[in-house]
Amino acid sequence: MENRTEQPAQPRKRELLMWILSGGLFGMAASILYPLFAYLKPPRLGEVETSSVKAGKVDDFQVDSGQIIKFGTKPVLLVRTPNDEFRAFSAVCTHLDCTVQYRREKGVIWCACHNGTYDLTGRNIGGPPPRPLDEFRVVIQGEEVLISKKA
Amino acid sequence: MKKRLNILYEWVNDRVHLEDLVEFLGKKYVPVHSHSVWYYFGGVSLFLFIIQVVTGILLLLYYKGSEELAFESIKFIMSKVAFGWLIRSVHSWAANLFVLAAMIHMFSVYFTKAYRKPREITWLTGMLMFFLVLGFGFSGYLLPWNELAFFATKVGTDIAGVIPVIGKPIMVFLRGGEDVTGATLSRFFGFHVAVFPGIFTVLLGIHLILVQRQGMSEPLHIERGGGSGGKTMPFFPNFLLRDLLLWLIVLNLLAILAVFFPWELGQKADAFAPAPAGIKPEWYFMFMFQTLKYIPAKLWIIDGEVFGIMLFSIAGLLWTLVPFWDAKSARGEKSRRIIYIGIFVVMYIIALTILGWLS
Amino acid sequence: MNGRYRGFLTTFVLIFLLHCSPALRAQDGCLTCHQTMEDPRAALFLKDVHKAKGFSCADCHGGNRNAEDMETAMDPDAGFRGVPSGDEITEMCSTCHSDGSAMVKTYNSILPWGQKALLEASVHNKLASNGKERIVNCATCHNAHGILPVENPASPVYPLNVTKTCGKCHSDASYMRIYNPTIAVDQVDKYRTSVHGKKNASGDRKVAECASCHGSHEIRSAKDVKSRVYPTNVPETCSSCHSNPEYMAGYGIESDQFEKYSKSVHGKALLEKNDIGAPACNDCHGNHAATPPGVASVSNVCGTCHALNADLFAQSPHKEAFDEADLPECETCHGNHEIVSASEKLLGVSDEAVCSWCHGGDPESKGYKTAASMRLLADSMDRAERRAIGLVEDAEQKGMEISDAKFKLRDARQAILQSRTMVHSFDEERFREVITAGIAVTAVAGSEANEAIDEYYFRRWGLVFATSMLILLSISLYVYIRKLEKRKETGTRNSAG
Repeated sequence: MENRTEQPAQPRKRELLMWILSGGLFGMAASILYPLFAYLKPPRLGEVETSSVKAGKVDDFQVDSGQIIKFGTKPVLLVRTPNDEFRAFSAVCTHLDCTVQYRREKGVIWCACHNGTYDLTGRNIGGPPPRPLDEFRVVIQGEEVLISKKA
Repeated sequence: MKKRLNILYEWVNDRVHLEDLVEFLGKKYVPVHSHSVWYYFGGVSLFLFIIQVVTGILLLLYYKGSEELAFESIKFIMSKVAFGWLIRSVHSWAANLFVLAAMIHMFSVYFTKAYRKPREITWLTGMLMFFLVLGFGFSGYLLPWNELAFFATKVGTDIAGVIPVIGKPIMVFLRGGEDVTGATLSRFFGFHVAVFPGIFTVLLGIHLILVQRQGMSEPLHIERGGGSGGKTMPFFPNFLLRDLLLWLIVLNLLAILAVFFPWELGQKADAFAPAPAGIKPEWYFMFMFQTLKYIPAKLWIIDGEVFGIMLFSIAGLLWTLVPFWDAKSARGEKSRRIIYIGIFVVMYIIALTILGWLS
Repeated sequence: MNGRYRGFLTTFVLIFLLHCSPALRAQDGCLTCHQTMEDPRAALFLKDVHKAKGFSCADCHGGNRNAEDMETAMDPDAGFRGVPSGDEITEMCSTCHSDGSAMVKTYNSILPWGQKALLEASVHNKLASNGKERIVNCATCHNAHGILPVENPASPVYPLNVTKTCGKCHSDASYMRIYNPTIAVDQVDKYRTSVHGKKNASGDRKVAECASCHGSHEIRSAKDVKSRVYPTNVPETCSSCHSNPEYMAGYGIESDQFEKYSKSVHGKALLEKNDIGAPACNDCHGNHAATPPGVASVSNVCGTCHALNADLFAQSPHKEAFDEADLPECETCHGNHEIVSASEKLLGVSDEAVCSWCHGGDPESKGYKTAASMRLLADSMDRAERRAIGLVEDAEQKGMEISDAKFKLRDARQAILQSRTMVHSFDEERFREVITAGIAVTAVAGSEANEAIDEYYFRRWGLVFATSMLILLSISLYVYIRKLEKRKETGTRNSAG
């Protein structure tokens, strides 16, 4: 009697347990594998490289012009001088942290906030800036312009 | 489905005789008694080691072991790589739990005197692995190249340097030069991902084979009292499933720790910056660090620091060789002295670790 | 013969007088003799303040004043020193003038002492080009014979004469070039155009002359941080007169400029942050030519630093309107001494906004509408920035890595600064362009921060999911193990039975 009542109930109970067990197993596998595969997918921003940055092709920059390049979390001003030299400086004005720009008609690096001026070696030559701009190194590799921290 | 699995099993069995293994596992039993709970810590340590291997390999995909890029690459992993924060935090947390689990495993083996004949080799390989785990911790701590790690490594290797005669060469070897520099980072990176794992895997293999061959040891008093009265549980599947259950819980604990207490990165190391306040070694080195602080600068004619290091070296050596000088346990006799030494060591470590954290 | 007789007589008279009157005892031999020689120095010395105090030539030159014979009187063995030159002069004066006890006790003087030490610390203490003496000694400014008190209008250091005295060297280009080829030599000319200079020329001895600002004995180079005219010290130097209401009474100007300036954005930058790029008094008023900038020159003065703003203003329709109404350009809206950091509050048509002073009347007018809509734009930029900052801070507090968004906040700030500049074009379209670009940049920062915050919650919900899966699995696994063991137990029991 006892056996007969238990026998049909047990397989159903076991079946349910197996369902839950495999469901849990599946869920856990998902919660491990999803992060894992997401991690393996290369991030869209590319690799970290703050010691040097590719500014672009030589031809992207006109002679006698300047352009702001993002260097890590800092802006850098890349200037192609009238003598066709590449120079790079921190674009943060040493006076009150405004972003400086290259002024072609004056041939200087200029800060719009308080009329501070720097010459093309980064020296502060006019206005309030207390010290020169930090210089970065520019290396030209083939057609590529690379900016890196000065050692 | 089952049929197909059977066919596969038969195919493999035909070639490598799986049935021997199944038979062996089927006959293997784990004793059940009041101290059975300690058996699980070996398994937990193993599981944490596996986690470290997996997350470590994952981190290797993006980590760059150089002075300029180490810090930036970890930052990149933490912020730009999908789930990078999770992998890195899990790796750091699991490392600490690994040391903790290995310590508990070691002390439980010590107190139950499971190292006695015939398991001396298992104990020896275990102790070597424990030292390697500490080496993993020490070398891995430097890899993010942040300020705290930089100075902790400086202090740590300095301590090695005070040992007379051999200290200086050891320090230079560890640092890859006179100072902690990018060369040290490269070296530690090499140890951490190639040298240590290689040796560890060999030792782990021996350790596991021995455990499987010799079975679980029973504590002396239970063995002498006629064993566990034949009360056992099959290793497969009962014990293994229980192991798995515990592993799941540990995994969950890791996930919670990683989400709620993500491992910090701190400031990038700067060799010329003044040492920040509150440099502390990792918690598992704390008791040694603290002891060295308490030892007076000069003891008779020897340097206090040298004395401390010698003391710890001798204590570590004696501890490792316990199966060979604990004659009583080997004969199956009760040995109170061993228990007292063990209690003293545990209390000492706990007390000095607490003191170290409070100071 | 003649000389001898005169000498005899003099000696006689002298001895006679010495015995009768102490005042006449000063009639010393040196002076008498040199007077008869018609030595101009003797004539000068007669007016000298030292003579009045009873000093004799011999007190400086040594020798015996009572000796009737010239040889005896000017005998080096009797201590005659002859004509001192260069640093010897300074040494000689300082034997009394830098000795407090001598000055006060012996001569009952109320003059300050310690001038020598001050002179030694000054820029004039450099070696002269001949390498033998200092550039300046006491006599350079005070004369050698005929030294007069400062209050005496004939003294070279009397306030009305100081410029001339200093100008002797400082206006001489060929002389100054020897010591500093780049130094200006037009200070006196400039000074004569200044308010100070004009009043000084008309005989007002209260107004500032050279020494009022540069100091008298302790004159330091303007590049010396201790100089009274070093940029950070200028406001205080000017305020020593201009903040004294009693002193300034009668000139018809306020005396609160320093107080106002200290509160201004320029004053805080200079005096609190020590930013010597910030303008001190002289950067707007000039130094030697100190004059309040006229209505026409205000924008040029401010424009030396705020160049873009000045340019934009000059091209704007306000230029003509201000000129017609004779309003000073920048000052009308920003004030002069107490210029605070400009905020969007200045803009618009509310009561505190400066636009409403002229354009507040007619809500239908073009000016009113433009002012109102520019304020709306500025406010929306401001809100966008504050929102972005809030989001970034929130994300940061949640422990997320958002250095990128923070970098973009810099751009937002930059955009606000640009928009503040662009206000001066008073052109709604150009202003809108800058604001739109700024809001776009700010929005990027905000959305990155937002993503980080979303990521934060995603992590927590991910954990909830993973944990629930793990719990489910753990429980079912546990139940499974129990079942397994139960079955085994019954199995073994069954087989045993």
